[in-house]
Amino acid sequence: MRTIDTDVLVIGGGATGVGVLRDLALRGIRAALVEKGDLTHGTTGRYHGLLHSGGRYVVKDKQSASECAVENEILRRIMPHCLEDTGGFFVVTPADDEAYVPLFLKGCQETGVSVHEIAVREALRREPLLNPRISRAFEVRDGSADSFLATHSNAEDAVRHGAQVLTYHVVTGLERTGDRVTGAVCEDMRSGETVHIHTSYIVNAAGAWAGKIAELAGVKVTVVPGKGTMVAMNHRVLNTVVNRCKPPADGDIIVPIHTVAVIGTTDVHVPDPDVFGIEAWEVERMLSEGEQLVPGISKARVLRAWAGVRPLYKDQDVADDRDIPRTYKLLDHEARDGVKGMISMVGGKWTTYRMMAQEATDAVAAKLGIQAECRTHLEPLPIPAGAERKAGLYWLGKPLAAIEADSSYGHLICECELVTRERVVDAITSGKAANIDDIRRDTRLGMGPCQGGFCTYRAAALWHELKPATPPANDPPHGHAGNSVALLRHFLQERWKGLTVIAWGDQLRQARLDEIIYLDTLGLDLLPAPAPAEQNGAEMVTAHPAIATEYHAA
Amino acid sequence: MRDTIVIGAGLSGLMGALALADAGRRPLVLAKGQGAMQWAAGTIDVWGAANGSLRAALGELITTDPGHPYARAGAAGVEAAIDRFRALMESARYPYVGSLERNVLLPTALGALRPAAFFPATMAAGDMRLGGAAHAGPPLLLAGFHELRDFFPPMAAENLTGQGIPARGVYLTLPPIARRLDFNTRVFAQLFDDPAFREDVGRQLRAARGDATRIGLPAVLGLRDPLGAVAHLQALSGAQIFEIPTLPPSVPGMRLFTIFREAIVKAGGRLQIGAEVLRGEGADGALTAVYSAAAAREQTHRANLFLLATGGVAGGGVRTDHTGSTWETALGLPLQAPGGRGEWFAPRFLNEAGHPIYRAGIATNPQLQPLDAAGAVVYRNVAVSGAALAGSDPIRERCYSGMALATGWRAGQILSSEL
Amino acid sequence: MTHDHIELSLEQSLDHCIKCNICTAACPVSAVTDLFPGPKYVGPQGQRFRMPGQPSPDESVDYCSGCRVCNEVCPTGVRVMELNTRAKAAIVEQNGLPLRAWLLGYQYWFGKLACGPLAPLANFGASNPLLRTVVERTVKIGRKAPLPKFSTYSFRSWFKQRTKSQASKTAAVPDGSQSTAPGSRKQVVYFHGCSTNYYEPHVGQAAVEVLERNGFEVIVAKQGCCGLPLLSNGAFKQARSHHEYNVEQLLPYAQRGIPIIGTSTSCTLTIKEEASELLGMHETAVRMVAENTYDIFEFLRLLHDRGELNTDFKPVQRSMPYHAPCQLRAHNLGRPALDILELVPGLQLSESTAACCGLAGTYGYKAEKYQIAMDVGAGLFDFVRASGSDTAVCDSEICRWQIAHGSGLEVKHPIEILREAYG
Repeated sequence: MRTIDTDVLVIGGGATGVGVLRDLALRGIRAALVEKGDLTHGTTGRYHGLLHSGGRYVVKDKQSASECAVENEILRRIMPHCLEDTGGFFVVTPADDEAYVPLFLKGCQETGVSVHEIAVREALRREPLLNPRISRAFEVRDGSADSFLATHSNAEDAVRHGAQVLTYHVVTGLERTGDRVTGAVCEDMRSGETVHIHTSYIVNAAGAWAGKIAELAGVKVTVVPGKGTMVAMNHRVLNTVVNRCKPPADGDIIVPIHTVAVIGTTDVHVPDPDVFGIEAWEVERMLSEGEQLVPGISKARVLRAWAGVRPLYKDQDVADDRDIPRTYKLLDHEARDGVKGMISMVGGKWTTYRMMAQEATDAVAAKLGIQAECRTHLEPLPIPAGAERKAGLYWLGKPLAAIEADSSYGHLICECELVTRERVVDAITSGKAANIDDIRRDTRLGMGPCQGGFCTYRAAALWHELKPATPPANDPPHGHAGNSVALLRHFLQERWKGLTVIAWGDQLRQARLDEIIYLDTLGLDLLPAPAPAEQNGAEMVTAHPAIATEYHAA
Repeated sequence: MRDTIVIGAGLSGLMGALALADAGRRPLVLAKGQGAMQWAAGTIDVWGAANGSLRAALGELITTDPGHPYARAGAAGVEAAIDRFRALMESARYPYVGSLERNVLLPTALGALRPAAFFPATMAAGDMRLGGAAHAGPPLLLAGFHELRDFFPPMAAENLTGQGIPARGVYLTLPPIARRLDFNTRVFAQLFDDPAFREDVGRQLRAARGDATRIGLPAVLGLRDPLGAVAHLQALSGAQIFEIPTLPPSVPGMRLFTIFREAIVKAGGRLQIGAEVLRGEGADGALTAVYSAAAAREQTHRANLFLLATGGVAGGGVRTDHTGSTWETALGLPLQAPGGRGEWFAPRFLNEAGHPIYRAGIATNPQLQPLDAAGAVVYRNVAVSGAALAGSDPIRERCYSGMALATGWRAGQILSSEL
Repeated sequence: MTHDHIELSLEQSLDHCIKCNICTAACPVSAVTDLFPGPKYVGPQGQRFRMPGQPSPDESVDYCSGCRVCNEVCPTGVRVMELNTRAKAAIVEQNGLPLRAWLLGYQYWFGKLACGPLAPLANFGASNPLLRTVVERTVKIGRKAPLPKFSTYSFRSWFKQRTKSQASKTAAVPDGSQSTAPGSRKQVVYFHGCSTNYYEPHVGQAAVEVLERNGFEVIVAKQGCCGLPLLSNGAFKQARSHHEYNVEQLLPYAQRGIPIIGTSTSCTLTIKEEASELLGMHETAVRMVAENTYDIFEFLRLLHDRGELNTDFKPVQRSMPYHAPCQLRAHNLGRPALDILELVPGLQLSESTAACCGLAGTYGYKAEKYQIAMDVGAGLFDFVRASGSDTAVCDSEICRWQIAHGSGLEVKHPIEILREAYG
């Protein structure tokens, strides 16, 4: 058993939690963060990557729209390396009602969302695959964001300012002394060790899981996990974010991010944020709606599908989950429930994470009687080593330019996403990664067309070579390499989850080639793998019930 | 200008072309590209699950599963095909060893032990049944190069050790003269064609050998004369050398392709790679022509006999789309395939029974003629072979190459003598 | 119609890539140099990182020779070479066309100037080591690269002279009523290309004679450079006007169903496919000209298929090595020259399995690529030399020059051999 003392404990390693941690650290407040998986393991790592201009909310959710418009500009200043300035279009397709246009423009004006109409011809010149039958096009300041890198950058800066980050620590209980929450009991899922964290204040930033955390303190918070399914196209069919100019609905946006274009999303209420599946109709909906924006897109190669759960806070009766405001809400449990020492920050969206963090931190600072002002909107985030070479906004060709400059083609471990040996080694030796999926979040390894077909073997081998841990004494037959086999199996299974719903055409062919590699050539299925229980003590966590998000096909 | 056409240049198509050439025909092989051989390990896997005699296992399979492609080839057909294949390889100084008595176990680049019936002599010393119980023998040495991203000796060695086969993994240093920026298996194979390079590697192997009597190297030991390269390295290192297959592109596959191509061309056949067959045209129950993609317009190929060996989902013979449709790509033949997409996959990637979609293929009669859903022959002058056939998942069954050889050979024979 | 919207785009072919690296293993350039990482790397892989309006991130694509071996071996149908050529064009658009690319792209101007009476002087210059060294230092055109010799007469002048002396046919566009008049002969248009016109008129002469032996009236239409040297150097804008000119000249014949026959496999490939595909020219006229254009042996093979080929061949007792050039292989027609020449009694052609001669259009003329081209071609030179023949056979002019340069053998177009067989 370990004990940690801190002034503020943040629960949740998504954008909001890590944002709060950085804000606290910059204000000189001693803070620690616990996350049950890897950073961005939850919703932050599973969204389409849109940096909102605010345009999507200007009619129905004006507050969110204004917040997005403000934060969009701040994020461009503080984290250019995480953002691509793709620009965005709102277009009226033949399936859309032009009557929405005046409402849209009026909303933009009211909320401060910058917009101007461009000629359809110009929109088509810039995006040749866009539906030539669109009748109007409006340009906004949408962009795309690398939410993995942004979160890592925030965490790195927080740590640099004295904060602690504990990943793979699941909160199993909150300690209450009278009407005050005074600490948390966690389990270190890698070692099985129990960790007691004593703290003066807790910020519940667990997103879709915030209700589960609040319950541990005996407080009721209703968060509706709104599942959104997305599909990634194999390459950037568009280089501009393109939205349908109509009230938000399924499949009405395509976001170009890194090497892919993401069609998003559905919105389905699920009972439990840990248990949900991607359903066939959702994928079909994305493709059929995507056809309105890019005719022929359903014949193009789909790389993968995945789902994330929006943390929608429900404090009143709304008929449709899409009608729940996307704005965030700070819950002061002392005022709301008579429970001191804890606040919850719920709702919101990635683009406004910093604003949410600022508001939460302001509240905590006030409770702690600390005067320090927020500085997160002023100080640029550090660029993690190896992630980027030059400052400035991200651009698509940047990774290729870096490989070209170093002539490091021969060092590519993940050839699809241009991840070099150096970066994989860094990710492994940083000590943060517990499995190859964590390396993926850090580097994009395995996120390209072959979905780990070639790089999983290489990454597992590098892991094996870099982590020569002593094999457990009572388990000589498997040795340490048994661990690399488990890593391989785990990552291939993780990739498989996102493939089965979209594997047809070229992607099915790819999946079959991957089978030839892992079964025919490598004989992965013939190797004895350690049972899940034997992984305790090793350095990976794959099958722990708290983080093994299983997609149960409906 | 040629009366016999083979569609597909994988192991099955080329074996079929060889059978046709043997029968005095001058087959034209049309293929979209080079394929499956360079994706696979280069061993002849006849039936992975067989514990004892492969002959017995095949005999049982043919009895219990008459729809299986092996049943079409017949037990004698399998043996004849393998004999012919081995004779070809022998004549090309790239002999295959093994038998239908039992599978051997060959180490993979991951350190697993995979069953194979026949394998190039360059892999022979990797037979883990050699020297009696693997547990007792002297330790193996596995050696590779940091520059080759598809072979990691330490991990493979430790996995072998974990299975009771003591092994060490080391990296060798590339001779400075050979240092290049980028490496792939082909580049290494070119390096191993050079005796000076082998001299250097051999010296390093001798130094690293320790008490090992067998050394495993990635299967990149030359394209020109791999057997000679292995012999040379054995002499230099003082240990038996064996090759371990790596990720695609597979050098053993390249060797196979070259040997087949030369044999078929020498016998008067012709390979046209880069020519994708887009459709066929028939009359009176016979296929009369196929059309391949060419610059500006399709190329017409009229012939009397056709062998379809375009492969399955991987090879490109079976194609699918998001609506759940499946189709045969070259001639539009009817497919036997699972229903909607919901039935295509098991939830686990490594599901033991595999994934139903990969069993999609063309149903045939015993003469390998394609059948429609009603069981009627579609074209009487067409035979189908290899992974394009329904009734098997050759990867899961570990019969990918054995089945390709057997049905390719049989189809070639049927076409040249029986149809 | 809208459904095909996305499929029209050449870039979409990258979606077929399953990363198997068969192209990289087959690439003759990356086999001999580190400077080219391989077709998959700069093709379907690099393409996912390219975006219009952004700087071109990988200049190593310039080391792609454009031989299309990658396209040929790709099991999934990725147009790797075309992706690479478009990437090169993006670099040209960004940086402008360098002088050397201009010189190589517009080489036919030199032909115009030097072919004829001035040829000996020009050839002296082209073979003068001192001058070549100066050229290498200034515009970086390799001093040892095999420049062809200018002919003392042009093919067109020969043809004109001959027509005059035969006092018959003109090269005018047929106006219909005349050419289809009863008793008129079957017609073909001969597209000679720059090399036949200025360097190798004998190839054109052989082609005309073979076509006439088969009962065709040969028309030599007005024509310009096909534009391939410009295309392969990324000068798309300039190439477009060349293609437009040729389409305009050839369209009237295509509309009348008169086949357009070429002996230069690269010119015919450009007219059939490359220009329209790379430049995105999908107009009906372009397509019609493309669909009526044939490599000469492709055409002869079609005649043979229809039983219309004159097969009155005299024995040619020779054994020679034959190389099917990349440009011919890219037509995806198999080996039409072998198919026809195997009808000639006594003639034995042994086919090389070499991927490429190395020169690949204008690639091997560039000083920094000269040695790469020679290394690529080394296997082919060995094969040709080992044959013991004093003559080799190859359909493409550039390859003939390179094989001759690398092996010391005389290299002929297969049509010259066929003409010989007609006696």
